[in-house]
Amino acid sequence: METQEKAPLATIVLPQMLCDKTGGRKIVTVSGNTIRAIIDALDHSYPGIKFHLCYETGELRTFVNLFVNGKNIRYLQQLDTPIHENTTIHVLPSVAGG
Amino acid sequence: MGKSYASGTILLTVGTKRGLFLLSSSDRQKWDIETTELKGQRVFYAILDQRNGHRMFAANNGDFFGSFVRYSDDFGETWQTPEQGIQFPSESGQKLQNIWVIEAGRPDEPGTLYAGVDPASLWVSKDNGVTWSANEALLNHPTRDRWEPGAGGLCLHTIVADPTNPLRMWIGISAVGCMRTDDGGATWTFANKNTRAGFQPDKYPEFGQCIHRLIQHPTQPDTLYQQNHCGIYKSLDAGDNWVDIQNSLPSEFGFPIALDNHHPDTVFVIVEDPEARNNVGDHFVVYRTEDAGEQWQPLTAGLPTGHGVRLGVLRHGMCADTLDPCGIYVGTNTGQIFASHDRGDSWQLIADFLPSVYSVNAAII
Repeated sequence: METQEKAPLATIVLPQMLCDKTGGRKIVTVSGNTIRAIIDALDHSYPGIKFHLCYETGELRTFVNLFVNGKNIRYLQQLDTPIHENTTIHVLPSVAGG
Repeated sequence: MGKSYASGTILLTVGTKRGLFLLSSSDRQKWDIETTELKGQRVFYAILDQRNGHRMFAANNGDFFGSFVRYSDDFGETWQTPEQGIQFPSESGQKLQNIWVIEAGRPDEPGTLYAGVDPASLWVSKDNGVTWSANEALLNHPTRDRWEPGAGGLCLHTIVADPTNPLRMWIGISAVGCMRTDDGGATWTFANKNTRAGFQPDKYPEFGQCIHRLIQHPTQPDTLYQQNHCGIYKSLDAGDNWVDIQNSLPSEFGFPIALDNHHPDTVFVIVEDPEARNNVGDHFVVYRTEDAGEQWQPLTAGLPTGHGVRLGVLRHGMCADTLDPCGIYVGTNTGQIFASHDRGDSWQLIADFLPSVYSVNAAII
């Protein structure tokens, strides 16, 4: 009997602005094979947080940046960027101003 | 025990580029300024709805993480987010850009609120702001694919629910114009006849006008006033026809308009240089008519003058209170609030050094 492979666990580091969605937690862990799946898993655990990261269309918001082990997903495979075990994902707003 | 104000307090909710502020006064002469817990984010609009207690609503447009209605039952100390907020269905292809306005519904529909957003759509809550849904007829209007945005986006910025007719409402969309429903939002028609779109080849189109603000006469419900990109107008027939009432005003361009609830032929506007988008000349002036637009009088006592005085006021940046004589409040894009407790005859600076002011609304506790 085939067994389903367990999705890798990722550590998500959130900015202070989003911590009210996670009960004050700045670091949370969820599982998923891609960034898209990670965002869906985050939203499952913390309802409503996806709309802070993505537009209704599912696209990543213009001034939200996700870094996978230090690399911006915009220069990887965007929302389809694969996640491996022990990945750390930083959620950061764009630098605004001078 | 939560925060409270004495009965009779005049409370101004001031939305700014960086947070929501509250100004309060018992006599409209000495004012206290308070911050709220909505800090650092763009607050386009905020009201205090007193039909069910004291619930404050704010249009909270974040720079990064989206736009949300927030509400507070303790005068801004703590805020809640709706269980089902303003969010388009994913299949619609629409993306919420900004929430522009939130208005309390009619006095006889407590718990109902309306919100206008960019992209232009009207949202309704019937449970005191906890859940919101879109008006489908407006979202699917047959002309929608020909609607063009103004400089601020394709924003629904003004909502006037007729208190005498539960089926009638007007909305203002830039740059689409005034629209009206007479069937409770099932259908929407344009109400722009004789309002000018000077920036278009056809100067008097059915729609495409850049309405900036719309208000209703408190006792003659078919009488409306609007400040438009191209003129100041009055309608005596619920928006079917409009008459230009610019007359002696030095510019047709401006954003806000307000009226005296006890003397509703008294209307206030602030017109601007359309290029510079601040006061015409070197004096910041509020204009008043006492005969519904026949003649306009410049109000200057206490308002700044001199070389370099260049103040701008956005569409939601001026309001009147409901006292008699009425108070008038003006917030500028450079962070000043000017107030008059005598229907504009004299003014005082009641706040300075605020972030750029987006909106000012007055409530009497």
